[in-house]
Amino acid sequence: MTPGRDRGAPAASRRAVLRAAGLAGVSAMAGAGCSLSGRATQVAVPWSDGELDQFRAVLRGYPAPVEVVSAGDDIDAFLRARHLAGTSPDVAILSRPGLVTEYAQRNWLAPLSDDLAAPFRSEWSDLLRWNGRLYGAWVKAAFKSLFWYLPSNVDSVPQTWEDLVALVRRMGAAGSGPVPLAIGAADGWVLTDWLENVLTCVAPAGFYDALARGEPRWTEPPVTESLTLLAELWALPGAFIGGPSRALLTQWDESVVEVTTGRAALVFEADYAQGYAASFGKPGLPAARTFRFPSVDGVRPLVMGGDAAVVLHGSRRGEDLIRYLVGAHAFDPWIAAGGYLSPNLGVRTDRYPEGLQRQLAEEMNDAPVLRFDLSDRLIGSFGGADGVGIWRVLQDFFRSVTAKGADRAAVVNRTAATLNQAARRAGGAP
Amino acid sequence: MTDGKRPESQVRAGAVPLPSGPPPGERVDGERAGSERAGGERLDGERLDGERLARGTRDPLLGELVLLDDVGPVRRGRAYPAAGAATVLLVPAGVLLAALVLWPVVRTLQASVIDPDTHAFVGLANFELPWPVIGRTVLWALVVPAVVTALGYLLASASRRTYEGRLVRLILLPPIAVPLVVTAVVFRLMYDPDRGRGTATALAAALFGKAPSFLGPTLITVSLMSAFVWAWVGLAVVVFRAALDAIPANLADSVRAYGGTRLDVFRDARWKPLLRRTVAVVFALVALATARTFDLILVLAPGSVRDAASVLAVRVWQTSGGTTSGRGAAVGVLWLAIVALGMVLASLGVRQAWPPPTIPPPRRRRKTKGAAPVPRPGEPRGSEPVGGQPGGGEPAGNGTGGTTESGDGTESGDADGDGTDGDETDEDEGSPAERRSRAGRAVRAIGRAVPSVAAVLWAFPLLVLVATSLHSPEDAATAGWWRAPLRLASYQQIFDDSTLSRSLLFTAALALVVTVVVVGLALLAAYPLAWLAGPAAQTAGMVLLAASVVPVQVIAGPVNEVLATVRLSGSSQGLALVHIALGLPFTILVLRNALADVPAATLRRVRLTGQREWDAVWRMATSIRPAVVAVCVLEFVQVWNDFAVGLLFSGPDGTPLGLLVYGQAREFVTASGPLAAISTLVSVVPVLLVVLARRQVVAGLVSGALR
Repeated sequence: MTPGRDRGAPAASRRAVLRAAGLAGVSAMAGAGCSLSGRATQVAVPWSDGELDQFRAVLRGYPAPVEVVSAGDDIDAFLRARHLAGTSPDVAILSRPGLVTEYAQRNWLAPLSDDLAAPFRSEWSDLLRWNGRLYGAWVKAAFKSLFWYLPSNVDSVPQTWEDLVALVRRMGAAGSGPVPLAIGAADGWVLTDWLENVLTCVAPAGFYDALARGEPRWTEPPVTESLTLLAELWALPGAFIGGPSRALLTQWDESVVEVTTGRAALVFEADYAQGYAASFGKPGLPAARTFRFPSVDGVRPLVMGGDAAVVLHGSRRGEDLIRYLVGAHAFDPWIAAGGYLSPNLGVRTDRYPEGLQRQLAEEMNDAPVLRFDLSDRLIGSFGGADGVGIWRVLQDFFRSVTAKGADRAAVVNRTAATLNQAARRAGGAP
Repeated sequence: MTDGKRPESQVRAGAVPLPSGPPPGERVDGERAGSERAGGERLDGERLDGERLARGTRDPLLGELVLLDDVGPVRRGRAYPAAGAATVLLVPAGVLLAALVLWPVVRTLQASVIDPDTHAFVGLANFELPWPVIGRTVLWALVVPAVVTALGYLLASASRRTYEGRLVRLILLPPIAVPLVVTAVVFRLMYDPDRGRGTATALAAALFGKAPSFLGPTLITVSLMSAFVWAWVGLAVVVFRAALDAIPANLADSVRAYGGTRLDVFRDARWKPLLRRTVAVVFALVALATARTFDLILVLAPGSVRDAASVLAVRVWQTSGGTTSGRGAAVGVLWLAIVALGMVLASLGVRQAWPPPTIPPPRRRRKTKGAAPVPRPGEPRGSEPVGGQPGGGEPAGNGTGGTTESGDGTESGDADGDGTDGDETDEDEGSPAERRSRAGRAVRAIGRAVPSVAAVLWAFPLLVLVATSLHSPEDAATAGWWRAPLRLASYQQIFDDSTLSRSLLFTAALALVVTVVVVGLALLAAYPLAWLAGPAAQTAGMVLLAASVVPVQVIAGPVNEVLATVRLSGSSQGLALVHIALGLPFTILVLRNALADVPAATLRRVRLTGQREWDAVWRMATSIRPAVVAVCVLEFVQVWNDFAVGLLFSGPDGTPLGLLVYGQAREFVTASGPLAAISTLVSVVPVLLVVLARRQVVAGLVSGALR
């Protein structure tokens, strides 16, 4: 379009041109809105609220000015738009390694020097490689194999899946007292986390990673077996507070509050629920505690999530910031404040405040095998967003399987087929 | 053209009862005059014309000018800037619209038929028809306007003559001004499925024992619609009230005097003269506004029901985010097509609803004459509307005044006919009248109750919002506002860090700059456009209307490309530019129509005294002050309340308020206290603006935009 190009051609004289076009007000805006002296390093983050504040505290230690943009859950859309516009931020923090490889594939990212992989376990860093080159560095870990409960409501913590089912069945049938389970099924990722924990236990070696690579093997037995186990638990009468349809309207934060206020006994939620657990307690009730996801088929799952920082193509300052962030002390403010778990092996566990974080950090560092969140590794829209991809499929699964008189086997098969189809559509392995 | 018009105008001035259809230019004029704005103002202008004319004949010096200028709006052609100057005035707005609306639309059309990766032409391969989503989009565009229109009329007429009416209308106003994301927050608080928190859920549970799941997949669309209706009814009430006020009261009296029933009064004294058109306008306006449901759905619908609530706006966002390529572009094109279709239907409806004024064929009059002893009273009544105006001694030669009233006059002529029908029931006049009065009393009682009930219903959600904000975050998340002690902890929390204050400042600056630029550019562009008449005016109006209804989600990708070429994408300047481009068409439309309505007398004064074209522009701007105030307020509020544009185009240098609210609302329950506090604060500015400037806004809007 010629008008646009005419006006944009000399970037230096942009203001003059704009003023000539009668847009003096806009350039005044340029003066008012952009009073930054020199451009700050821009970081787009998926966090908001408390997490965002904590991250800002972390950045206060960085010598250069940093501008943090909270892009929300839709950081992918945000970055796509920015890329198209040629105004990508310097650094983006992505909670999906799938996105990192996807972007690397499209040449949107700048490769990082390999020493930035050193502070992390190799199975973590390998997720951020494409064609052998490193494209990201981990900044935050999430411990996703955790249950929260109030000691006053649960007398013995379930060690195995069978224990868990028995507990839920017993409490659900009791009809009085706290409801056994809270679940934030309105957030699709809560359901994918459930599936992943079970799946890592029942799947043979390599199968989980094959799915993560995008292979359409969702109709195979490990998946249907996992779905069947979940269906069995979720369909137990009285399992959820307010019933399953209410559970589908409950977001994860509310599910945590339901446990800390004593209305529900257990909630399966990652370590980052700690902030809510701490501030939304009820006077007179004990503080919430945690236990590891019970073992399934004799295997105790450990599923981790995490956020990785990447440098967008063309940024000069990005790698400096990342180098700062992978330093062993960068995240000290957040570690001290709680609610943060570092994937960084250089962060000594005694630096965490006494209690949950330290214990989780130890468990994480000692665990022989870590699995990374499957849905976060999936490519494209299959990885999910509200109303999209695996999130939506599992919410439909939850809805159908908890319906009265549901034919569970049929629902399981149908769900597996839908997932497989979605995986095919997403384009298979990168 | 002007040469051709002159004799016509003379004909018009001289011979009102000519049965032939009016010339096209005059039809435009008739439409304008018949709009909801007090016809009186226009009449004044014309009357002034008449006086001028009268004086002009006395004063030979002015006579020349009068002859040149005075024959009516069409003749203003003589007094406007040369084509070159006019074009220059149109350039800034034209460039912006071309670059940020027109070109992006073209790009989107192109992107919908090529493969995003290979850039090969793929025909219609990108097009899938998501029928449920399309169906829901259309349902929104039909059901919601119908409800809003009906409720709006009901409340406007019920609250019209009562003292409480004023209060009621005042209560109905704030929901118009509240940002849609805040509306979503309000209704999510109300519809919270937990009966310990959700007010509506608790009430339903208390009343019926079992509360429906308002946010569940079956009811979510209804709940969303209720929130939308809540937000829009106030506007409909205001417009209907202006329309009802513009109808001469004696019209209804005369229908009644001739035995017309309530229904007759409604049909002949309200529906036909003005309401039919107002209904069409309100319906169309709300139908097009349903494209804005995006904000509502993203905040109000929990993730698991997002799909059950999805409309094309959301689908476009889900498919392509801020980019526009392939399948996302295809969904966008579908949406554009639906909007365009809706616009065409709407404009057809609006035009049909306002038929050009026709003079009742004489034979029909003769017929009524023969049928009943009506004619004698009928004749004075026929002139009543005209005569009813103060200073009605105006001679019949008052051309356009006659045209203005001829519509009403025609309808009252029709009322005549119906009055005669009523005569047939005259024989048993006693008992039906009694029955009627009893029924009338009941109706009136209900009528009196309706506004009060509505006021309570409409004020309640805002009360819930404020009440929730006055609780600590913990209480707001765990107990209903009616059960916990009042605290200011949520307000404390939101002011603990500077995010909110920075966002407030940023949004205020953005809205101010955008408003100033938009109104300035729109005034420049409206000035030459105001001289257009006939088909040219119609075309310009349609183009502007089309530009104002293009959904921003559809063109986000190409708009970003354009911004990138001027290195402004992802910056606050880019965001401002997009706001300006999106705000221009509507503003130009309003200002253009207001300018076109400027009485010729004012213009003449300007032309006589002003030396330069700038003086003319300035004088005209001051004489359309209500319209300018209206568009200023509307534009400011629009930018302040925006969510979608901020979501798609805002950069790291500032977070608009809409985006801030959205970010807070993502984990809704635990954030509800601070969220309610932010929402309350954010709403104060637009609500105050709209309430304080309501007179100007209404006057400016109904005179300008709604035609």
